[in-house]
Amino acid sequence: MKKVLVALDNSLAGKAVIASARALAALLGAELEAVHVQVDGGRTARGTAEAAAVPFRLVTGQVVEQLVEAGADEDVVALAIGARGGPTSRHPLGGTASAVASALPKPVLIVPPDAGLVVLRRVLVPLEGTPSTSLALRVTFELALRAEIDVLVLHVYDQDSIPAFTDQPQHEQPARAREFLHRHAPHGLGVVQFETRIGRSGELIPLVAEERDCDLIALGWSQELSGGRAPVVRETLARSRRPVLLVPVQPAAERDEALATQLGTRPDDR
Amino acid sequence: MPKMASGNKVKQSELPETHERKGDRWVAKDQPGPSDPRSKQATTEAKRSGRGETYGGVDAEQNTKQELYGRARRLGVEGRSKMSQREAGGGDRGSATVRTMSASELRPSRGESGDEDQATEPCAPVMTTVARQRAKGSEPRLPSPLERRFEAVVFDWDGTAVPDRRADASELRALIEGLCSLGFDFVVVTDTHVGNVDGQLRARPAGPGRLYLCVNRGSEVFEATAAGVELIYRRQATPEEEAALDAAATATVAELARHGLSAEVVSQRLNRRKIDLIPEPEWADPSKARIAELLEAVQERLRNAGLAGLGAAVEVALAAAQAAGLADARVTSDAKHVEIGLTDKADSAHWAFAELWRRGVGPGLVLIAGDEFGPLGGLPGSDSLLLVPEASRATAISVGVEPSGTPAEVLALGGGPPNFLAVLVDQLERRRRWELPELDGDPNWTLAVEGLDPQLERVHESLLTLADGRLGTRGAPLFDDARATPAVFLSGVYTREGPASELARCPDWTRLAPTPSKRPRIRRQLDLATGMLREEGPLTSVRFSSLARPATVALRAREEQAAVAPRRARRGGKVVAALRNRRRGQAFERLGAYDPEPELARAALAAAAQAGFERLLREQREAWACRWQEAEVVVEGDHELQRAIRFALFQLMASVGDRDEAGVGARGLSGPAYSGHVFWDADVFVLPFFAATHPEAARAMLEYRIRRLPAAREAARALGRSGARFPWESAADGRDVTPASVRDASGRLVPIRTGELEEHIVGDVAWAAACYLDWTGDAAFAAGPGRELLVETARYWASRVRYGGDGRAHIYGVIGPDEYHEPVDDNAFTNVLARWNLRRAAALDGVDPEERSRWLAIAEALVDGFDRASGIYEQFAGFFELEPLVIEEIAPRRPIAADLLLGAERVAGAQVLKQADVLMAHHMLPDEVVPDSLDPNLDFYEPRTAHGSSLSPAIHAGLLARAGRYRPALEALRIAARLDLDDLTGSTAGGLHLATMGGLWQALAFGFGGVRPRGERLLVDPHLPTEWHALELALRFRGRPLRLRIDREGIGVGSDGWKVEQSPDHWEVAPR
Repeated sequence: MKKVLVALDNSLAGKAVIASARALAALLGAELEAVHVQVDGGRTARGTAEAAAVPFRLVTGQVVEQLVEAGADEDVVALAIGARGGPTSRHPLGGTASAVASALPKPVLIVPPDAGLVVLRRVLVPLEGTPSTSLALRVTFELALRAEIDVLVLHVYDQDSIPAFTDQPQHEQPARAREFLHRHAPHGLGVVQFETRIGRSGELIPLVAEERDCDLIALGWSQELSGGRAPVVRETLARSRRPVLLVPVQPAAERDEALATQLGTRPDDR
Repeated sequence: MPKMASGNKVKQSELPETHERKGDRWVAKDQPGPSDPRSKQATTEAKRSGRGETYGGVDAEQNTKQELYGRARRLGVEGRSKMSQREAGGGDRGSATVRTMSASELRPSRGESGDEDQATEPCAPVMTTVARQRAKGSEPRLPSPLERRFEAVVFDWDGTAVPDRRADASELRALIEGLCSLGFDFVVVTDTHVGNVDGQLRARPAGPGRLYLCVNRGSEVFEATAAGVELIYRRQATPEEEAALDAAATATVAELARHGLSAEVVSQRLNRRKIDLIPEPEWADPSKARIAELLEAVQERLRNAGLAGLGAAVEVALAAAQAAGLADARVTSDAKHVEIGLTDKADSAHWAFAELWRRGVGPGLVLIAGDEFGPLGGLPGSDSLLLVPEASRATAISVGVEPSGTPAEVLALGGGPPNFLAVLVDQLERRRRWELPELDGDPNWTLAVEGLDPQLERVHESLLTLADGRLGTRGAPLFDDARATPAVFLSGVYTREGPASELARCPDWTRLAPTPSKRPRIRRQLDLATGMLREEGPLTSVRFSSLARPATVALRAREEQAAVAPRRARRGGKVVAALRNRRRGQAFERLGAYDPEPELARAALAAAAQAGFERLLREQREAWACRWQEAEVVVEGDHELQRAIRFALFQLMASVGDRDEAGVGARGLSGPAYSGHVFWDADVFVLPFFAATHPEAARAMLEYRIRRLPAAREAARALGRSGARFPWESAADGRDVTPASVRDASGRLVPIRTGELEEHIVGDVAWAAACYLDWTGDAAFAAGPGRELLVETARYWASRVRYGGDGRAHIYGVIGPDEYHEPVDDNAFTNVLARWNLRRAAALDGVDPEERSRWLAIAEALVDGFDRASGIYEQFAGFFELEPLVIEEIAPRRPIAADLLLGAERVAGAQVLKQADVLMAHHMLPDEVVPDSLDPNLDFYEPRTAHGSSLSPAIHAGLLARAGRYRPALEALRIAARLDLDDLTGSTAGGLHLATMGGLWQALAFGFGGVRPRGERLLVDPHLPTEWHALELALRFRGRPLRLRIDREGIGVGSDGWKVEQSPDHWEVAPR
């Protein structure tokens, strides 16, 4: 049976994490299981799990290591974890959450402590317009569409990608939108909504999520946070009041294979 | 290209019709006249149409049945004892038929039932002795370069097609007539005269392929048709040249005699003199088979006379010719003779390839055949003269002995005339089994797409669109694929109403197979010269949309190993697609015709089926060749630009019909973007190209507007105004279909006000009518609907203006071409256009004097924003007070959508332009703006223009060229040229940008070429950048074609009937 693993610590964030994880599990057709790495006590974590009727597992050891190991279990399809301990925590993205997300090659749901997700009705899927991120989010797309969840695809233009021409926007916009979806979300054609913004992605993604009443943000990423990488992910996680599902981008070879499968063909023999 | 000597077109046959050829003898006919029933039809067109019975030239009516049976028996015809004479003549095509194909041989095994027929029409029923031998396996297979279809053959006569002058050419005749009936062209190139060739051949093809006889060593060209043989070109020597030829020949003989060699001038043929180097009985008439022997004898004779050999004899003749004043003498030798002439076989070859190209057959589709390519006595073989530079992509074969070998580019086939016939038989068989036609393969005329890129497939489909002016089909693969977006559109047929109206989707004739189980390899090539698309992959195919029969389509496919079953065509919707599928073995053929009316679609399909694929193909080649001759633009010195220009012109010509009405949407027939809505793109950007090259199409575009005058009048009335107010966006019925709002790229829901306020469209339509009139002088249009357009639009402006307290006339609350600023007052472009419109209408005959006065007064009073101090037009009232941003300095690059970069509000408050606005007036109405105001306005506005409209770069390119600013002009030109090829807008997937293509042509013609009509003359004020050696433009002015060449020396017109006069600062081209 598929599982969504819920990483609980002894903080205020647990309830929100479980609620968000439950909504995600419903989408994925999975069960929930809570895990706590015992550092100091653990009664809050256990109590939160029991109150939510979620099976609880206690493990010991190095927190990140244990969570990644638990998440690596083949039954686990995703892991949910709190972004930070509480709304007033000093750092918007906790070290544990970022480390686990960086190390676990599976979708990781980062849940802000004040997230109120109970039911998934609309997912915001920002696409930067690269094949890798588009492919990474394909499964999310399909699952959402299958569950009749609204999907809003967002593309943010920055200074480098602002189009050269607007011509007649009443026609140009729909034409560009169609082609963007063809290229990056062909399985969503005719089904998903598409919008664009201009500016900084990390700033605009959370704004749009709020503005358009999205319950979840799904982001493809390379799992690299060090050295100033993934600024959009960082900023989104820092600003978002909605849970953010981080979906790892596959390595190139696997991506080509998956892309071919996605598009209904197999790759050429090379 | 050789000029046709004027006055040398002779209609009557040069050959008597009093004799006929029987076997190897000429026999007087009992009755003169053509022997073939088809030849007896009243008109040449009827004779060529393929209607009527034909015996392939055999005089079935004059020969007795016994004579025909005898001929047939000699060629192995069996089972003919019960034939009537007519049957014997008809089956005995040219006395070459062995047997006709039986019905079972013509019909392969049945495939799908239903609408799929088996091939029942007879292919030219010729199976020659050679073919029979091949079928038995006694003839060798052809080498691989010949294992393909050709569309024409240029061939030598003696030794190649026939072994000698006495040989029976009946098999060859049958093959020629048979292949001509399937669209194949023949060009005989020979030294001898037409009597010798046609007297032996006597072919009378009925078309659509043609038979040309290039005779007399490059001096004459005849065409043999069902009506007879007609002279179409003759090089006429001047008396001085004749005298020089005589002198050269005499001097040559004298010089040879000085060496002790007896030689004789044996003939004075047209434009040449022939000197016999070995006038000995033994060598009176040597056969080609003895060529080596002959050569040795001649060489020995020359050496004995102290000459080095044949080359020395030629040198003597050449020197004599030059001494006689023949600067370009053609001296050749066939070993026995030396000939001094004004022309040679190379002239024939030049003519042949030019003519074939003119008829849509590129050199890559041509076979050259001879028997003497290799050197002869140290001299180039006579047939090597056929290998002219323009033939470099042709396939050349030699069937000769070639004792010294053949040049590397010639395939040594050997075997003499029988092998030449075998090649022709092979060509016939390939057509019989529906082999796919080839594309010419010239990379300069081909757009090739490899593979199926998921990111770019839809862009490629737009680029590969096939259209015929009425029907457009995207270049999607024939098999289904999730990445593809196939679509077919018929011009002028819309669904839905209002802003939601869009071009109706038609049933797709190119859907042939489901998604392959394996990822397919695919290659698509679009031949821009002929409008044919070849696809190689699971279904290798060639298809086209007929320019000669708009909305008729044809496709042939060859199924590879794992046969993919062609699906049935789908029918339904607003447009009916009548389709017919046929199979012949592994070949599949589909013909189709589209129309909203089922009966018309069926009738068009029936006509296409009657014509057959080969004739449709021939028509397609010729129709496109004709259009290219009308409209080609050549830029010498920029190869990449040339190819882009060619692509743009191809898609322009394919997108606009020339009959009835032509509503030209912003993306033409290539995609769904812009819904087929018609903007000023059509009137201002696309129409001028057609007005100057194919005015029927421009007239059809204007007809679209004329038929919507009632709606335009109604729109004006609804606003309380007079005249006609054309809509910003137009579709089926002429009412405005501009959407009311859109969520823009920044996510805001913004109102679209162009439909309400962008009124310069009224003047744009009037300008288009005037442009058409200026180029054509169409008096009927000027007196009728053209007049109506000009008058009604002038009335609109007259009712639109308001007088201010300053006594000046103003037009308040509009949007100009620069749509970043809305609404504005007194947009300079709109006002200048309105002023011109009023004045142009006032100049018409028959205008009410009071109305005329009023119009002129308004025109005089209209403000135009011109500031005398600076020489700059203020784009609109208050423009100079806006924030003085210079986008050239701010933006990271240009073109750029500045409204997205800076925000719509910021841009609206700044001096940042979306596209040419004031400069648009300089482009469209150079006589209406203040003289010499181009430079200061370019200086001011160009740096402030973001070019956020794809219409802008081309306009600036032309204006910058006119101002002599070549570097930025070329930069802007290249953007326009590559806009779709490089998908610079990100929206080419939705269709091609026709306005940019039209603007590109205008930049070249009006900008760099500096061409403008003025009355009965064309003014030419060119501006060639140093990178270009020349610019050539094919045009049509006042109903007459001309080809204008502009180079460093000046200008020239390569067409008869025009003169060029030079003025201090420009040239003028006028009719003679």
